[in-house]
Amino acid sequence: MKAVGANVPRYDGVDHVTGRSRFVDDFSLPGMLWAKALRSPLASARVLRVDTSRAEAMPGVHAVITHSDVPKNVVGHQEFWGIAADEPLLAEHEVRFVGQLIAVVAAETEAQALAAVLAIEVEFEEREPFFDVRKAWDSGQPQVTPDGNIYFYYPDQPQRQVRKGDVEAAFTVADVVVEGVYRPTAVEQAPAEPASALSVLEPNGRLTVHSTSQALYYSMEITARHLCVPVGQLKFVGGTVGGGFGGKIDTVTEPVTAVLALKARRPVKWRWTREEEMLCSSTRAPWHIEIADAVTKDGWILGRRTLTLHDAGAYMRTSAYACSKHTFHLAGAYSVPACAFNTFVVMTNHVPTAAMRGFGVTSASFAVETHMNRVAEVLGMDPWELRLKNANRVGDTSPTRVVYANPSTVTTLLAAADASGVDLPAELRAMSNGKRVGALLPAHLVEQQREPKAHPLVWRDGRPAPEGSN
Amino acid sequence: MKLIVNGQPRTVGGNALTPLLRVLREELGLVGAKAGCQHGSCGTCTVLVDGQPRRSCLLLLGSLDGAQITTVEGLGGPACLSDLQVAFNERYAAQCGFCTPGMLLAATALLRRKAGPVERDEVVDALGGHYCRCTGYVKIVDAVVAASRGELLGKMAVSTLEIRGAEL
Repeated sequence: MKAVGANVPRYDGVDHVTGRSRFVDDFSLPGMLWAKALRSPLASARVLRVDTSRAEAMPGVHAVITHSDVPKNVVGHQEFWGIAADEPLLAEHEVRFVGQLIAVVAAETEAQALAAVLAIEVEFEEREPFFDVRKAWDSGQPQVTPDGNIYFYYPDQPQRQVRKGDVEAAFTVADVVVEGVYRPTAVEQAPAEPASALSVLEPNGRLTVHSTSQALYYSMEITARHLCVPVGQLKFVGGTVGGGFGGKIDTVTEPVTAVLALKARRPVKWRWTREEEMLCSSTRAPWHIEIADAVTKDGWILGRRTLTLHDAGAYMRTSAYACSKHTFHLAGAYSVPACAFNTFVVMTNHVPTAAMRGFGVTSASFAVETHMNRVAEVLGMDPWELRLKNANRVGDTSPTRVVYANPSTVTTLLAAADASGVDLPAELRAMSNGKRVGALLPAHLVEQQREPKAHPLVWRDGRPAPEGSN
Repeated sequence: MKLIVNGQPRTVGGNALTPLLRVLREELGLVGAKAGCQHGSCGTCTVLVDGQPRRSCLLLLGSLDGAQITTVEGLGGPACLSDLQVAFNERYAAQCGFCTPGMLLAATALLRRKAGPVERDEVVDALGGHYCRCTGYVKIVDAVVAASRGELLGKMAVSTLEIRGAEL
């Protein structure tokens, strides 16, 4: 245990302070080409014609790629979880967001590549875009995908849902129902280092890809899918990343430079501009979250209903996963014995949205914590008392019926009160994470503590779940 | 065009409108200065020009004939780190490392301008135009203040290699 409590030197610390750390853009190779992309200026359009012939004849240009150059153009970011491939690396007959890639040029200098991009001819037929997730069900709204504007988790069920306890009864017996709508907006992760990649075709036919990915093997898998090669044909070099914050999980620069390197037979580097990073890379999603709580006058939460509309943008990427996590966390750190949570992944003509710090949970926490304050205000109750009463204790169950063996909500709340100079009354300060007893174990929580055994999990086809699943 | 880069006279080509950042990175192979935004907004490309911290992405070669340029590579190699480099390393002021060269050069200019201890608000003022998305600002300010006072710990408890050897 030499390192615990010690100041351990960073293995890359001296390299960082001497400028010797090599980020992707710091590598250059003889004969290396630079990439520049033609991106969609429109949020929604049919692509009628793309003519790259003038660009191909420009000085210094070694390769121009469009969708037909990509061995498998349409790939999904989470196919390994059964989420269908939906996103073209390069646009085919349509574009669905501003900034979507249409063609990419590799030339001897960045300036030559840019000049060639400007020489590509494209003809669009503009369509009305769809942006407002609240209108996803309105007839007559533009349809983002051939399957509509809502993603279906299962053939018969669009939403990610969680059900626990008797929600109807909770809302029937409640003294008050408190409702709120929360709409955290899109955020760009804005790493200091823009997305970059350098792909090198080795003499033995393998590809070396220098990547800014936060998830190197994940990016390798997606690149291999686009190229239709086994991952063994690829060597990914990474690990020195100039910040990611979720945005560098998405994999775009690696397969694009790989296809260009294969076509040009030269190393190809692509470094996004700050504008591309801000406008065309994925963002944290905008969310629309509605919460209704059934509460008693003395501050117990009996039940909660939620409706979340997640703006996935134009393609799925990791949205289905983010929404699962979001839904599982909609009780926050509190014991809610009856839950009906519904989360919909809505496709829009915004840039695709993806991970950023918390990945679906941050939006849930923002909505839940803001709503707790609203409940306290409606009840005329101290928000610390409301939180401490309802905070998870040993034996409470999560919305997905996980029994909490070692919750820390009470400890955390007391520490937060201390840190912010809040003087709590003695009876609140005396609270602990331990099992509920006495006044902290009202009748409605007795049942939810027993619920896991009363409602064994079953698979969707009715088979009982394996022993220990609940 | 002649430049003095990290004390060495260098002759560089390129036209007068080439940004200094490109000359450093692509012609001289000095990649310590980073292309974070190429707008003069983020500070990752900062170098010293005749002792002053300047954004090399906005400086055009034509205005620099005979100028003295200092990049992070000129501050000190692994065996002869400057006090600032030591302080940044041992106080964990470099997180992802991308903004670090620019921060170091702006801080170097501050400590050369004002000998002796500096106050936190002077550091914040000197580094105000530098973006650290890892939001490690507190540790960066700590490191500059410590270096100005000569408060170097100088003894990281154990080396990483030592810990690896101990099979942590």
